[in-house]
Amino acid sequence: MQFVIAFTLAIALMAADHYGQLMGSFRSLLLTTITPIERVATLPKQLYQLATTDFTNIDSLKLENQQLKTELLLVKAKQQQFLNLQLEVARLESLLGTAGEINTQSLQIATVTFYSNNPLSQYITLDKGQLKKVSEQQTVIDSKGIMGQIISTTPTSSRVLLITDPDHQIPVRIQRTGQRGILSGTGHDTTQLEFIPKNSAVEVGDLLESSGLGGVFPAGYPVAIITQIENKAGNPYLDITASPIADLSQSHKVLILSQASPYLNFDEKLTDPADVN
Amino acid sequence: MSTKLFNLKSSQARWMILFSYLIALALDTVALLGHSSPIVPPLTLFVLLYWCAHFLDRTHLFSAFILGLLADTLYQTTLGSHALLFIIITFLMLRHRLRFKTYPVWQQAFFISLYMLAYQLLNYLFFNPVLNSNDFVQYWSMPAISILLWPMLSYGLKQISHTTAND
Repeated sequence: MQFVIAFTLAIALMAADHYGQLMGSFRSLLLTTITPIERVATLPKQLYQLATTDFTNIDSLKLENQQLKTELLLVKAKQQQFLNLQLEVARLESLLGTAGEINTQSLQIATVTFYSNNPLSQYITLDKGQLKKVSEQQTVIDSKGIMGQIISTTPTSSRVLLITDPDHQIPVRIQRTGQRGILSGTGHDTTQLEFIPKNSAVEVGDLLESSGLGGVFPAGYPVAIITQIENKAGNPYLDITASPIADLSQSHKVLILSQASPYLNFDEKLTDPADVN
Repeated sequence: MSTKLFNLKSSQARWMILFSYLIALALDTVALLGHSSPIVPPLTLFVLLYWCAHFLDRTHLFSAFILGLLADTLYQTTLGSHALLFIIITFLMLRHRLRFKTYPVWQQAFFISLYMLAYQLLNYLFFNPVLNSNDFVQYWSMPAISILLWPMLSYGLKQISHTTAND
């Protein structure tokens, strides 16, 4: 009898979760339960890293500081050009009479506290949650490109489904030609570009950027680079493999994008000592 | 000592059971961090099966359901899918746990590997994981690994139950 009840309940839960998306808060509750276990599970790795880290001497720290300062200077110089270009684009668009808009998002820095490398699920857990106003469907990027989107949150953490997860799909366009397609994860650190007809001008090395269609991901962020194109007989579309640009398994600090902010706004100081470490 | 152990009720050892589940979940989470995860058996299910055969006064299906839901959260799968898997495997164990309890540990390990094979088969049907050649071998060799793992786990949990029985 208990078996029948539990069996029915499990089936009902699966249906509710799969078709209705009703279980958001329940999943959040379960995620909150499992968060301390995740923290405990990462402890041995952290201890190992602590034990194997070389004690960096002051000279190398100075050198690193110098390098970072130079890099910051270059980035700031580029930023000036970017603002200039932004104005230029606005001017040109007003000349053309179109009402274009450059996407601007506010950013939040978060630290990766846990990750899953399983072929069934590829996700990372971040240390920012509902208390920091992180919500579902926000885009997460690193310094190179899009990593994924937030799928569930708890008060103190959030889970990001990576673009390589088998359940993840993101609308993209090929930067060179503007052709649209859907990029799906495979579960093995790569992605597949789908719905590209055989007569398309696609080349290995083409950059895929988010197209902004669907309204979840902002347009224009780099996502992946095409690494392999296969033309199989009897298939109307090309088999295209693409490798993500973002360092999905290496990035420690990531950025959470929020929409609807008229100007670039850092919610936190980038020079926060806790974030630099 | 053995009489004490034999008479031990699951309600008396509730905290021990709960603690062992938490440890097993944490170990499963550690396995998730590594790259060799398809070969590592689900320890939570192992511990669940052990307690299922050890404490005969309850069905453990509620525990199986809750642990399955936590596994769903951990593996980011549809809520209820791992719960269903855990319930089915636990039910299979419930059907013959009286006989299972009398087997020597190596025979138990053999049966556990059959349960794990059923688990992997159902897992494959449910989630249809994309496995490359290396993962494919690892995925299907998991039941064989569980033959080796069961005696160790069984010994460890037996020691813990003895300690609790003596307290």
